[in-house]
Amino acid sequence: MALVKRKELSLAEKLYLPEIARGLSITLTKMFGKSITRQYPEEPLPTTAVTRGQPRLVERQDGHLACVSCGLCEAACPAYAITIDGQETDRPIEREPERFEIDMLRCILCGFCEEACPKDAIFMSSELELADYDRASLVYGLDQLRRQRPALQRRIDYIHGINERW
Amino acid sequence: MNTILVWLIKVLIIYGGLLGTAALMTLAERKVSAWIQHRKGPNRVGPCGILQPLADGVKLFFKEEVLPAGANRLLFRFAPALTALPAMMTVAVIPFGGELELFGITTKLSIADLDIGVLYILAVGGLGIYGIILGGWASNSKYSLLGGLRASAQMVSYELSMILAIVAVIAVTGSLDLREIAQAQAAFTDWNIWRQPLACGLFVVTMFAETNRHPFDFAECEPELVGGFHTEYSSMKFGLYFLGEYSAMVVMACLATTLFLGGWSVPFVPEAHWLLGLAAFMAKTACFLFLYIWVRWTLPRLRFDQLMGLGWKVMLPLALLNLFITGALLSLTGA
Amino acid sequence: MTIITVNGREVEADPARPLIDACHDNGAHVPHYCYHRGLSPVGSCRICQVVVSQGDMPPRVVAACRTPVAKGMVVNTEAEAAHGARKECLEFILKNHPLDCPICDKAGECSLQDNAYAEGQSECRSVEPRRELAKRKSLGDVIVLDQERCILCSRCVRFMEEVPQTPQLAIVGRGTHSRVETWQDQPLSGNYQGNLSDVCPVGALTLKDFRFQARVWNLRKSASTCPECSRGCSVTVEVLRDGPVKRIRPRHNEAVNGYWMCDEGRLGFHEREQRPRLAAALLAGASGLETASASRVIEVCADLISAAERPLLLASPFITDEEAELLKQLSASCGARAAVVIRDTESADADTILRTGDPSPNRRGLTEAGLEALSPAAAAAALGEADCALLLGERSAELVGFEALCALPVKLRLVLLDSYAPEGEIPALNACLGIPDWTERPGTWTNIDGHKGQLLPARPAPNGTRPLTATLRVLASILAESGTPTAADIAEEATR
Repeated sequence: MALVKRKELSLAEKLYLPEIARGLSITLTKMFGKSITRQYPEEPLPTTAVTRGQPRLVERQDGHLACVSCGLCEAACPAYAITIDGQETDRPIEREPERFEIDMLRCILCGFCEEACPKDAIFMSSELELADYDRASLVYGLDQLRRQRPALQRRIDYIHGINERW
Repeated sequence: MNTILVWLIKVLIIYGGLLGTAALMTLAERKVSAWIQHRKGPNRVGPCGILQPLADGVKLFFKEEVLPAGANRLLFRFAPALTALPAMMTVAVIPFGGELELFGITTKLSIADLDIGVLYILAVGGLGIYGIILGGWASNSKYSLLGGLRASAQMVSYELSMILAIVAVIAVTGSLDLREIAQAQAAFTDWNIWRQPLACGLFVVTMFAETNRHPFDFAECEPELVGGFHTEYSSMKFGLYFLGEYSAMVVMACLATTLFLGGWSVPFVPEAHWLLGLAAFMAKTACFLFLYIWVRWTLPRLRFDQLMGLGWKVMLPLALLNLFITGALLSLTGA
Repeated sequence: MTIITVNGREVEADPARPLIDACHDNGAHVPHYCYHRGLSPVGSCRICQVVVSQGDMPPRVVAACRTPVAKGMVVNTEAEAAHGARKECLEFILKNHPLDCPICDKAGECSLQDNAYAEGQSECRSVEPRRELAKRKSLGDVIVLDQERCILCSRCVRFMEEVPQTPQLAIVGRGTHSRVETWQDQPLSGNYQGNLSDVCPVGALTLKDFRFQARVWNLRKSASTCPECSRGCSVTVEVLRDGPVKRIRPRHNEAVNGYWMCDEGRLGFHEREQRPRLAAALLAGASGLETASASRVIEVCADLISAAERPLLLASPFITDEEAELLKQLSASCGARAAVVIRDTESADADTILRTGDPSPNRRGLTEAGLEALSPAAAAAALGEADCALLLGERSAELVGFEALCALPVKLRLVLLDSYAPEGEIPALNACLGIPDWTERPGTWTNIDGHKGQLLPARPAPNGTRPLTATLRVLASILAESGTPTAADIAEEATR
């Protein structure tokens, strides 16, 4: 059994005054150091390509969504946030969403919908702010979910890059 | 007529200044502690957060007034006032500067110029303890009771050392009048901090203990006692307790300046204008107030038994020693 | 029954059926496309291959749907050779199959998807582009054809030949140009077209009215019985998110309908889904019908019946056997006349396959229960004679006729318990209460041959409806207890 050796304190240590002085000097120098506060609404939150923000639907240059309302994201969503109804279209793709709603109050930003999509139609943008006055307004429909491709390009490139490795 | 007018003006300015400083102290506390911790304090409410104390006050007014079941109604309501009043009363004898001509009346820059100023401060300041004990007892809560008892025990024990330190200063100066003590330190080399270093150190330590400030704030700290004597208080009664505490801090800082740092004397400027003297006084007080905050965020809290041990076993003997040495030196030099 | 060994277990096999049935009946998984139990086997898709050995014969891979069972056969459906053969077959089928899963309605119930996933066939070794054919070819009002998705199993061709016996589809062309077509692109005709979407193993033949309506994994399925005629085909009702019925498909019932159902049953529910429901309890008040509580309406109803001298309980042929039983008891206890409105049979509707031409699904059950069968005209006359009538059951107001109901005298105190709201104001109506329809309540219907068809609730009934069984029971219990109120009380209650 090893005995705990307690070092004998010197007189200066026992008085504690030099330690107090040392502590005070440390805090004083810290006062003049740089502060690390982020002034939030003025300074936005930093996001990178890896950041999973809210899901958004890709709108192609011809104005139509890439989404074909296949329902895979609805099935993959672990929070049951997505509701989809499909309809016929004359375009060769045959199928497009009539109603595509994501209840943002249920969405957990997991990105499963992005992984499940076979048409590269939904991506996790870098939009993170979500605040409104009543529950109904936070169920986002097609109009609120569509974004032009360039707005999502950073995320699209990142996802394509990691999928190359598969 | 003019006398009354001048007196009224002095009261308003000094008293208002005390309350304003106490309010600004709440902000300064938050800002300085933030800077020490590498953050910015409140900076949203006004420029650099200047209006934060106003916002805090408004918030406190809007809070619900809680009266605990079984509490002694009269004492519960009265106790915060009993803590706040003595602090505000003691500021009456603090001398902020020399003489000044106003409306044809020559007046000194203090509300009352008592020749037993020190005695007045100690007597009235001692009343502050009642507020804490009564508040703690009247709350009908175990945390409050313990907090109140501990705070009162602590204040009583450190009061002794404080008085003995002050007595040494009085012995050196030969007068109880705060104005004379300040005027005796007119020259920079005459400051009592050089003449009575041990008394100064003792006074600074007991200053912390008297105002229940860190590292002697065991009576009201959260991890140990939830809130101590102010656990059950809410809204403006709580606000009044804290106003009283901060006012006491300001008054103690002013007292320390007067006793040890030469009051309103400007170093190396013998005949300073009253405004400069006032500014010097405020600067020196500000140093002590900064010391309060600086020490709070540097040192660990003393446990209650350590606290009491320090008060009785270290402070008191040192104060007696200091008095003994002072007395011996005075009689030897015949001054 | 012959004894064979399937996957190490000895089982009994019917010698009249091919080997694949013996495997399926005993839990061995054998994938199949061209084989269908209700159609003749052809053995063209080659995916049902299993490894079979017998006696001294070395094991060989055979197509199970064209292999007769023999005594002492040893079948291994999970052998490596079997799986390898299946993978090769899938590779060939998938080589030309378009990547349509995201837009195809069959996704989720597609054998090609399931087998490709099970066998792990995902890589394509060919670099040539897939062959292109017609994608959205309309074959009439019911079916739409996607020729690219077709895997040429010929189930649709054999179905049209063997079941309605109108051979309208054929595989034309050879080799890579093979495709399913109708003669000169004429639309399909007949009353059994909907079954084509059931037999097609992939999404080549799909129903137009179900196109893009829902994903099959979002549909809640319940067993039930078709209400269109007295055949009472076993069906599965599929509902989306507890709301609309999206699809009705046949369930296998060897005694009643085999594997099929007619198009009227399959598509007839749409019209009624659009109709406004009676989902409230209403009492006649000073200004027409006003909302009341359901218990109040039932009390008023009980008072009216007990005060009447010639009460009439008139049901529609959509009520279940259980409801009919309760109706009989109620009529016995209060001395009312119990009858059911039966529309005349329309023999033009009958065919030799499934349709009976009799639009009342529970005619046999109700007449056997002892309810008097009245034609709509006779029912209207009976209503005219009675001094209090309870018209109950789904679509009962429609069957008697809105005009006939409006023509009834006001002194007839009519209470309506129906699923659908009447088209307009009926002067004789004193009270009404909504009831669940056939997709919302459990029960039994007896078909023309005496088979009992189960009804199960597929979705919750709308708020404001009360189950008919509960209402009848409450009425019976009230009438059993209470005495006869005076005419003045009734008049006051009825006008409240």
